Amino acid sequence: MRNQPPRLARRLLEWWSGSASVDDLLGDLDEWYAINSRRYSPLRAKAVYWGQALSLCLSYGLRKRKRDAANSVYASSGFSADMLRNYLKVSVRSLYQYKYFSLINVFGLAIGMSVSLLLIALVSYVKTYDDFHEHRASIYTITSERTEGIEQSDYATAPVLLAQALSGHADVQEIVRIQAGFDENIRLERGALSLRGYYVDPSFLSVFTYDVLQGDGQATLSTPNRVILTESAALRIFNTTDVLGRTLELEQGGLLEVGAIMKDHPINSHFKFELLIAYATLPPPSASLTDQWMNYGREYIYVRLREDGNVDHVREVLNHTSERVYAGLPVKAVFQAEPLLGTAMGPDYRQAIGPKWEMSGMIVFAVIAALILLPACFNYTNISIARSLKRAKEIGLRKTMGGQQRQIFAQFITETIVITLVALALGILIFLLARSEFKSMLASSSSLDLSLTPSMLFWFFILALGTGLLAGLFPAIYFGALNPIQALKNKVHSHGSAMRVRKTLTVFQFALSFGFILALVVFSRQYRYSVGFDFGFNKSNIVNVPLQGVDPAQVRDALAPLASVQQVTLASDVLGLSASSTWVKDATGDSTEVHQLFVDDSYLETFGLTLLAGSNFPDRPWHGERAILVNEEFLKAYRISRPADALGLTVEVEGKELEVIGVVKNFHYAPLRFPIERFFFRQDPERYTYAHLRVQSADAFTLFTELENRWKGLTDRRFEGRFYEQDLQDGYSMYRTLIKIIGFLGVLAITISLLGMLGMVVYTAETRVKEVGIRKVMGASVAGITLLLSKDYLKLMLLAVLVGAPVTAGLIGYLMPYIQYYSVALNLGDVLVATVILVGLGLATIASQTYQTARINPAETLRAE
Amino acid sequence: MKVYLGELEELVLLTIASLGDNAYGVSIQQDLEVRCSRSLTIGALHATIARLEEKGFLTSWLGGATSERGGRSKRFYEVTQAGKKAVTEAKLLRDELWQQAKLHLQP
Repeated sequence: MRNQPPRLARRLLEWWSGSASVDDLLGDLDEWYAINSRRYSPLRAKAVYWGQALSLCLSYGLRKRKRDAANSVYASSGFSADMLRNYLKVSVRSLYQYKYFSLINVFGLAIGMSVSLLLIALVSYVKTYDDFHEHRASIYTITSERTEGIEQSDYATAPVLLAQALSGHADVQEIVRIQAGFDENIRLERGALSLRGYYVDPSFLSVFTYDVLQGDGQATLSTPNRVILTESAALRIFNTTDVLGRTLELEQGGLLEVGAIMKDHPINSHFKFELLIAYATLPPPSASLTDQWMNYGREYIYVRLREDGNVDHVREVLNHTSERVYAGLPVKAVFQAEPLLGTAMGPDYRQAIGPKWEMSGMIVFAVIAALILLPACFNYTNISIARSLKRAKEIGLRKTMGGQQRQIFAQFITETIVITLVALALGILIFLLARSEFKSMLASSSSLDLSLTPSMLFWFFILALGTGLLAGLFPAIYFGALNPIQALKNKVHSHGSAMRVRKTLTVFQFALSFGFILALVVFSRQYRYSVGFDFGFNKSNIVNVPLQGVDPAQVRDALAPLASVQQVTLASDVLGLSASSTWVKDATGDSTEVHQLFVDDSYLETFGLTLLAGSNFPDRPWHGERAILVNEEFLKAYRISRPADALGLTVEVEGKELEVIGVVKNFHYAPLRFPIERFFFRQDPERYTYAHLRVQSADAFTLFTELENRWKGLTDRRFEGRFYEQDLQDGYSMYRTLIKIIGFLGVLAITISLLGMLGMVVYTAETRVKEVGIRKVMGASVAGITLLLSKDYLKLMLLAVLVGAPVTAGLIGYLMPYIQYYSVALNLGDVLVATVILVGLGLATIASQTYQTARINPAETLRAE
Repeated sequence: MKVYLGELEELVLLTIASLGDNAYGVSIQQDLEVRCSRSLTIGALHATIARLEEKGFLTSWLGGATSERGGRSKRFYEVTQAGKKAVTEAKLLRDELWQQAKLHLQP
C-alpha cells in the first residue's frame, strides 16, 4: 500500500476551512509530504504534515480565504432548491440512460420491499386496536403469571375474585368481570346455530365504548338470562334487527331474552363476541374458594382508573392480594395490571380473550422481512459499484468543474431515492396483489383490515427513504471520494475492499436463497412423510362421522345395516389427530398424566390395533366404568416388562378404580408433533362424539349418498362425514401453509438474488466484449468463452451453498423437533436437490447473458480497433 | 499613496518574480529555504502572500495538478505591475540611502 498522508490532519484542515477553496493548499501539503517521505521516516513526514496543517489553520492566509469565500457570489448555504432540482434532473436522465439496470434495480427493490410493506400494513393496523374506546388510556387488564409445580406460564386471565379485592380502591373507578365461556347452540326451526359471547358485568358498557342501538344495555346486563345481541348476530338468527324481547332457546336447555341490540364492535378490537350476557346468569361457583383462586380459565378482569388514578397503587394491591391468597397453596399466581392499548400486540399470554398478535410472531416476521429487503439493497449497492467505471468519467468531469464531494454524494443518494420511490410504487402493486393471500394465511384474519390508509402510506414512504439511504450510502460515499484525475484517465479499478464487499454480499444472498430452497425441500418431504406415516393402525377406508349431539347408539344402528359399511365403532376423538388427557393416581398417591380415548368394543378391530395381552372390552358395556386397555408406554411407567403381568393392575382415575384388562401395542394416538406417551382406552358411552365406519365401496359418491340418506332419518343437522385420510391431511395442513409461505419467500429471495446476478453478469459481459472478441479471433470456442465468463459466478454460488447448507441444516435440525416430534432428518439428498435447483437457476441466468456475449461476431466488436 | 513593503514581503515578492512561471506554494517555500536559509512555516508564507494579494502586488491562477498532489491543482503566483513598481521603488529607496550613507565595510 502506498504511503498516505495522515487523513485526520487533512480532514481537520478541510473542516476548518469550510467553504473556502483550499485545494491548492492541500495539494501543496501532499507534495511536501511526498518530498518529506523521501527525506525522512514516514512517522516524521506525518508529523511535519500535521505541523503544516495546524500552521495553516492558524494562518492569516486561510482566514482571508474563508472571509472571501463567505462574501463570494458562489457561496452556498449548503442546500438550495435549484441544486435539488438539478440532482433530480440528472438522476432521471441517468436512470433513463441505463434503462436495463434501472429496471433490474426497481424490480428487485420492489420485491424486496413488498414483504416489509405487508409487515408495516399489519403492524399499523394492529396499532389501531381498541383505540375506539373513549377511556382507553385509563383502562387496564389484569394478567397473571401462574406457577404450578415447575410449570410457569403467563396468562391473560385472572381470577374474578380479584374484583372484590380491588373494588372500593381509591384509584379504581370501575371494574368489569368477564367470563368468556359462552359458546352455545341456539335451537332454531331450520337447525342449530352456534353463538359465542361473554358473560359481563353491567359496567362493561360504561368502561368500554360500544353503541347500543335499541333497548337499555345497562339494565339488560343487570338481570340474569338477558342478552345484548350484535346486529349481525341478530340478522343471522332472526333475519331482522327488530328483535327486542324475543327469546333464544338454547340446545342445552334454557331461554335467553334479547334485551338490547348493539352495533357490531369494530374488528380492530382484542374482544370478539356476538352477544353479551349478564354476568349474573352464571350459576354461583360450586368450587371451593381456594379452587377458584387456583383455576381461573376464561376469567378476565378489566379496571378503569379514576382520572388521577395511579396504576402503581393498583399493582400494590394486586401484589398484597397475591401474597395473602396463595400462601400455602400448591398453585401460585402473581398479577400485573397491563394497559389496554398494549394488549393486542403485547407480550405473549396464554388464553387471550380474542384476537391476539403475538410479539414473538411479529419479531419473526420482521426478521424475515429484513432478510428479504437487505439482499435487494445489496443488489443495488453491488450493481452501482460494479458500474463505477461507466460513471467514473461523469464524476471526474463534475469534480473538475468544481463539484464537491458533498454534492456528488447528494447526487447519488438522490438517484437511489428516486429509484426506491419508483420501486415503492411497484411494491405497493405487489402488496395489493399479495394482500388477500397473505390474510388467508393468518389465523386472526377476520380481525384484520389491510386497506391503505394515509398513515400506512406515510410509513411506506419512510420505508422507501430508509431503503434508499441504506442501498445508496456505500455507492454515494464511494463515488464522492473518487479521484478525478484517475477517473478521467480511466484508471479506476474496483478497489480490493469494494470487490470483497460485493462478493460477500453476493454469497450472503445466495446462501439465503439456498436456505429457503432447502427448507422448502425438507418441509415438503416432511408433509409427505406425515401424511404417509405408519401410525400403527389402519387408516384407509375409514369414514369419520361427527355425531353432533345425535345419540351414538342410534347412529350405529342406522348406519351399520348398510351393505358397504363393514363395521361401525364409536369414540370420543379422532385417533391420531387429538386426544384428551387425565390424571392417574397410583398406589403411592402420585399423579401422572395419561392420554385417553373413550371407545366401544369394536374399536380395536376397526382400526386394526393389536392386543398384546388380555382381552377387549365386552360387547355390552358395564354399568359404570370398570376397565381400561393400556399401551406399552403405560407399562413402562409401572416398570412392567411383560404385557401379561399388567393384567389385573388397578389404578385410580378421577376417583374410580379401573382395572387393566388388556395391553395394546404402541401406536400414534396423537399428532406426530407429540411423542407416544402413556395412554389408555376407556369405555364410557356418554363420551362418544364420533362414529367411525369401516367401509368397502368402490364409489365414494354412492356411499356418501347412502350414508346421508340414513343420517337424515336421525336429525336435521348436516351430515359431516369425511374419509379419515382427508381429515388427516387437513390435520397436517399447517405444512401446506408453511410450504406456501416458505415458497413465496423463497421465490422472492431467489428472484432478488438472480436479478442481482443478472445485473452483474450483464455488466461483466459488456465490459469484456473486446476481450471476448480477441479471444475468438485467437480461436477460442463459444463454449469456452461462456465458461470463462460464468466461472466466477459459479464459484460464488458454490461458496454460498457451502455457507448456507450447514447454517440451514442447523436451523432446521434445531426447529424441527419443536414443530413435530416424529420428523424427517435433513439428509444429503435434500442438500443435493436444493443445490441443483439453485445452481440450475443461477446457471440459466448467467448462461443467457454470457452465451450471447460469446456469440458476438468479433468483427463487430473489434472493427474500430 | 505610498505603500509600505515589509522585509519578508519584499523577499517573497522577489522570490516569486525569480521563479517565473513556476511560482507556487511548495517551490516558493523551497526557494526561500535554499537561497535565504529562511525556514518559514507554511502558515507564515501564506499569511504574507495573502497580504501581498490584498495590496494588489500578486495575482494567481490554478493549474498543473499532478498525481503526487492527489489530483489537486497548484496555485501559481505572478507579480503584478503594481508589485513590480513597489519592489523597484523599495530598491531605489535603498540605493539612494546606500549612496548617502557612504557606508563601507572595511575588509
